[in-house]
Amino acid sequence: MNNEAIKELLYKMADDLLILGHRNSEWTGMGPLLEEDIAFSSMAQDKVGQSLALYQLLHQLGEQDPDTVAFTRNAGQFHNAIITELPNAEYDFSLVRHFLFDTADALRWQMLTRCAYTPLAQLAAKVRGELRYHTLHANTWIKKLGSATDESVSRLQHSLDELMPYALGLFEPSPYEADLIADGLFQGEAVLQQRWLAAIESVLAPTHLQLPDVVLIAPVVGGRQGQHSPHLQPLLDEMSEVFKIDPAAEW
Amino acid sequence: MVHSLDPRVGRLPTIGTPGMVVPKVPLDQLGTFEVFVQPKEGKPFQHEGIVHAPDLELAYVLAKETFTRRFTCTSLYVVETRHVYVSPTTEGGVSVAAVLPAITGPDGEPLSFELFMLPKRGKQHVHIGTVMATLPQEAMHRGFQQNLHGGKTVYNLWAVRTTDIRFTTPEEKELWLTLPEKKFRDAAEYKGGDKLKAFLEKQRP
Amino acid sequence: MYGGGNTFEGIKNDGLAQENPEKLAAFEARIARGEKIEPTDWMPQLYRKQLIRMIEQHAHSEIIGALPEGTWITRAPGFKRKMALMAKVQDEVGHAQLLYSAAETLGKSREQMIDDLITGKSKYSNIFNYPTFTWADCCFISWLVDAGAIVNQLANAKGSYGPYCRALDRICAEESFHLKYGHHCVIYLATGTAKQRAMFQEALNRWWPPLMHFFGPSDKISAHTEILMRWKVKMSSNDDIRNQFLDMYVPKIWELGFTIPDANLKKNEETGKWEYTEPDWEEFKRVINGDGPCNKERLEVRRIAEERGRWVREALKSPESAYVMPLA
Repeated sequence: MNNEAIKELLYKMADDLLILGHRNSEWTGMGPLLEEDIAFSSMAQDKVGQSLALYQLLHQLGEQDPDTVAFTRNAGQFHNAIITELPNAEYDFSLVRHFLFDTADALRWQMLTRCAYTPLAQLAAKVRGELRYHTLHANTWIKKLGSATDESVSRLQHSLDELMPYALGLFEPSPYEADLIADGLFQGEAVLQQRWLAAIESVLAPTHLQLPDVVLIAPVVGGRQGQHSPHLQPLLDEMSEVFKIDPAAEW
Repeated sequence: MVHSLDPRVGRLPTIGTPGMVVPKVPLDQLGTFEVFVQPKEGKPFQHEGIVHAPDLELAYVLAKETFTRRFTCTSLYVVETRHVYVSPTTEGGVSVAAVLPAITGPDGEPLSFELFMLPKRGKQHVHIGTVMATLPQEAMHRGFQQNLHGGKTVYNLWAVRTTDIRFTTPEEKELWLTLPEKKFRDAAEYKGGDKLKAFLEKQRP
Repeated sequence: MYGGGNTFEGIKNDGLAQENPEKLAAFEARIARGEKIEPTDWMPQLYRKQLIRMIEQHAHSEIIGALPEGTWITRAPGFKRKMALMAKVQDEVGHAQLLYSAAETLGKSREQMIDDLITGKSKYSNIFNYPTFTWADCCFISWLVDAGAIVNQLANAKGSYGPYCRALDRICAEESFHLKYGHHCVIYLATGTAKQRAMFQEALNRWWPPLMHFFGPSDKISAHTEILMRWKVKMSSNDDIRNQFLDMYVPKIWELGFTIPDANLKKNEETGKWEYTEPDWEEFKRVINGDGPCNKERLEVRRIAEERGRWVREALKSPESAYVMPLA
């Protein structure tokens, strides 16, 4: 089994989840409804928790411990897709991002339940309940707001149009794509993207939202190779502000 | 922009005029739904509180994290508050059974009702069973006839039509799969005793 | 997180003359028997009014209290702290949700309460009008402000109003994690590097006076509350709660080798009461009336959050659902 390929897969998943979990946690105490504030925070906690579990697998494969990996790397060493690092803007943006990302994330984990690398397959089986909630939450909200008032529909549509190129960046192929498929680790980004598109379409179909034509969109890629938007480094600086006061200290 | 030590606050957009509050319109917080949770397999569902939501499905979604993120849970359901029929509340050892007039519903197809009793003032309503009846009050009466309350004093009784409830589906049972593993929310996970002891011993002259 | 205090100003008992004497007697007898009051029961107007006021202030304290700690979510050092703080601040929002619901059973809607918060008409715990400069300030709140709140909340959970007691039982169960987590954080600072220790000592110096205020004005100067004690709305005097807190936590702070910034603080072994420098109640009044370091920011952040959420709530309104007072 190609360890480098597995590590690359684990890193990009873990980084996606950490960065988006961090972004979504910024809403805590500022959400549009108390109940939604709580739900959104829980899903952010799930994401950070899943990223920790993945960093622990990486640690078992010889990488540094999760805190060091998460709190001391620079933007150029992160493999998250750019969609996860974009600032929060308004709630429509965060909700649409949650819908686009979590749909892909849930499908990715589902595919990984058959991963030949057993620890990852086991983790995938374990988190399925969390992902079921994330997609139930996202789909219910998108269906509701996507057919409600003119304002809610136009806000969601605007965010959907803005985010689609970034969402497609989630499926930026790995340099190890062929190895991952050959070794039975992962069926590959192309298959994932196809399934994702079908899932997105079926949720949007009963709403007033229009799915942009993906053929005409240039995906925003580069995140998987460490090429990020200007938003990631400030996020990381903030995240590690206390940790870096003394990285050797126990907090 | 608000000047703040809080980086999140520094990122907030400007909206409206500082200090100017646009009053909320009535019902800004939406409808009301009652939430029931089953803490363990085999245990009865108990009332945990309410959520405000626009419809039954979103109420279910919001209730899940509002009420089942911290303590053990195997299942959850919600019902709109206006669909809950409420008996009079009694006190001082008098049971609702004693004050509820017997009533027989009209002829017709009986419906399924869920019954919830308040075993003591200040405690939570607990599910006691399902009965068939044509009217809610008849359902309550039948509940007593069938001794679903186990002979206990009932201080208040709720009846809900089964079809008005958004239940957890069998596939959704996995929603709580990782709940016991979320140790970071568990008091028992924060034991500082050893570190403290070592520190105190080092301080000793 | 709520410590009581400033809740029961200006109580006039004359209103009671207009209440039905038989109903009033039955109501008081029920409380004297130790039975809880439920929302559909008859209750004196004064009882309803003071309960709404108290539960609402408690709810506001939770939602505003989420801000000074919430600011550290994005900066918490390491996975363990980051996840715990996310869950802890989320709980505070959850407590607000529970408490607003309990107050709603008395007939005031959540939107009305939130409006009254933002306009400054109703109050919240004074302590959240102070800024959290460092990670240690955040740890101070998680441990000691929550500890103070728990002392108060455990007392209030024995009160007479059913929905408030149910909410508090749940809240207290959740707070045990907050308290342990907070203490854990402080133990790590205390046993850590010199810099970490200094961080906490500085936080303690900053936060001690507001913490003494947290339990409310001294009994010598606070409003007349006998009737509220009899009705089990207020369960202990401010000074009793403050004393209980000092009894439980001063030894724990000293154990860690920190200095509490009050040279007069000591336990009088004869009376069993703690003696301390009288807190500056003029400052307390000034801050509660809007002139604290963060009052404006807190309310402005809440106002912006509500404004930003407006389109969501408008989109969700539908004839399908209806507002009804919660049942319990």
